[in-house]
Amino acid sequence: MTLPRWLAPTLFALALAAAAWRAPFPVAPAFVPPPPAVADPAPAYFSTALLPTAAPSAHAAALAELADGSIAAAWFAGTREGAADVAVWYATLGAAGWTTPRAIATREGTAAATLAYARKVGNPVLYAEGERLHLWFVSVALGGWAGSMLNHAVSSDGGANWSPPTRLQTSPFLNISTLGRAPPVALADGGLGLPVYHEFIAKHGEWLRLAPDGRIVDKVRMPQGRRTLQPAVAVLDGQHALAILRDNDTGPGRIRVATTLDGGRHWPAADALPLPNPNSSVALLRLKSGRLLIAGNGASGRNQLLLWLSDDAGKTWHTAATVESDADPQAEFSYPALLQARDGRVHLAYTWRRQGIKHAVFNEAWLAGGTP
Amino acid sequence: MSATVLYGWLAQGVVIGALVSLLPLGDKRRIAGLMAIPLALFAGPAALLHGFVGTPSVTLLLLAIWQLASRAPTPLDRRAAWSVIGIAALFYPLALGLGPFDPYAVGYQPWPLLLAIGTLAVALLRCRREDWLLILSAGLAGYAGGLFANLWDALLDPLLALAALAVVVGQLARRRTAG
Repeated sequence: MTLPRWLAPTLFALALAAAAWRAPFPVAPAFVPPPPAVADPAPAYFSTALLPTAAPSAHAAALAELADGSIAAAWFAGTREGAADVAVWYATLGAAGWTTPRAIATREGTAAATLAYARKVGNPVLYAEGERLHLWFVSVALGGWAGSMLNHAVSSDGGANWSPPTRLQTSPFLNISTLGRAPPVALADGGLGLPVYHEFIAKHGEWLRLAPDGRIVDKVRMPQGRRTLQPAVAVLDGQHALAILRDNDTGPGRIRVATTLDGGRHWPAADALPLPNPNSSVALLRLKSGRLLIAGNGASGRNQLLLWLSDDAGKTWHTAATVESDADPQAEFSYPALLQARDGRVHLAYTWRRQGIKHAVFNEAWLAGGTP
Repeated sequence: MSATVLYGWLAQGVVIGALVSLLPLGDKRRIAGLMAIPLALFAGPAALLHGFVGTPSVTLLLLAIWQLASRAPTPLDRRAAWSVIGIAALFYPLALGLGPFDPYAVGYQPWPLLLAIGTLAVALLRCRREDWLLILSAGLAGYAGGLFANLWDALLDPLLALAALAVVVGQLARRRTAG
């Protein structure tokens, strides 16, 4: 069968016009600027508790504050990291303490929703946006964590029910190697900026710009001279933000830095912080006082979990507190997540000896050296 | 369930059918390929391939359909195969982190890519390659219809690059045998 000569070019012109019509033309990116700094007059406060156990091995907690003021935590747990029975678990902290954890993402559920095989799940990220609670998590079909694909689900009822997860298209090669670890930041256009990372062959941070409807409209690398992972971002003003990254290269590591001065369009490397990083995840938070807070491991390894403060937008840092310390180098207090609730209290969740997730609550007076 | 999920699953079923039709089954190869599609979809291989390699491009899907349905030679001839290999050889290393430039990111706001495709279309028209013009049109339509967040994903994927490599290697092997 011979097609008329005009048919192919006509169809092509129509398809090209339709693609051009659909191609996004987003406005220049900008962050929602942080609110003006305010001091917290509350007296020093500090408490810790282990979250209820979901499974023998737990890791990688994430935190969010729900619309009703309760704190939500998600983490992955199973018989061991990467096992087929690992699920993403979810619990909330209310007046009666932590609820019994519930599995909110499993490999079976993810496979059923995406019509695609999934071997394991991991690394949840939570973010509350009004009544909507976002969950990003990774699933792997083949290989290790470098084969991760990023999935997204939403709850409109505080985590009781979740939409079926959808898979984000973030990589051209088998759609693999995009992982999340730290929460997104709000953008001025109503979208979100989600810090993620890539670890197949090259290892570097990345920045996904999401439109208000969740569609990815840009992806930007965070180039560094060394292998880096797991960016965590704090917004300093409408155009300026700081990202800190896990140092995954050889030799003694330091917390690596990327900054943007144009709302996330570019993330050039900046000088590393004078803070150690033994190839482990770090968390970053801008406090209501305007100070920056980092949670991460000390030079000795994951057997020490520290908090560092900066009073000058990240130029200088000092140790604020030691949250955990154990002489045993095999002890692990890692993968911290930070959140400051609307009541001013700072929540820290972290992997506790791989046996569970520990939750610490404190305030800025405690960070300043006050005793509860 | 999203249209992208359904598309990816169904398209991988067709890809598996096309692969089956490549087996040396004589004049039964086409019917074997067609019968393999529901089997792949409902017995698991399509979901497995969907999990391993993600959503296939429209280009790959159309070539698979062509393989299953048409007696005409595949549009993925030697010249086209070399073009796909050339693009893939440049594209994938850069997109996976070799150097600072990420060509894949261009596909999220694909205005430069649309311009390049328009230029390519003019060249294809001059070469009388209406088959590839139609394939590109379908890829663009897939993107326009919201099946893909990134235009690159509608046009190119690693299985397509592998298929192109198989075409080139097969032709070289045949030439060597004939020589």
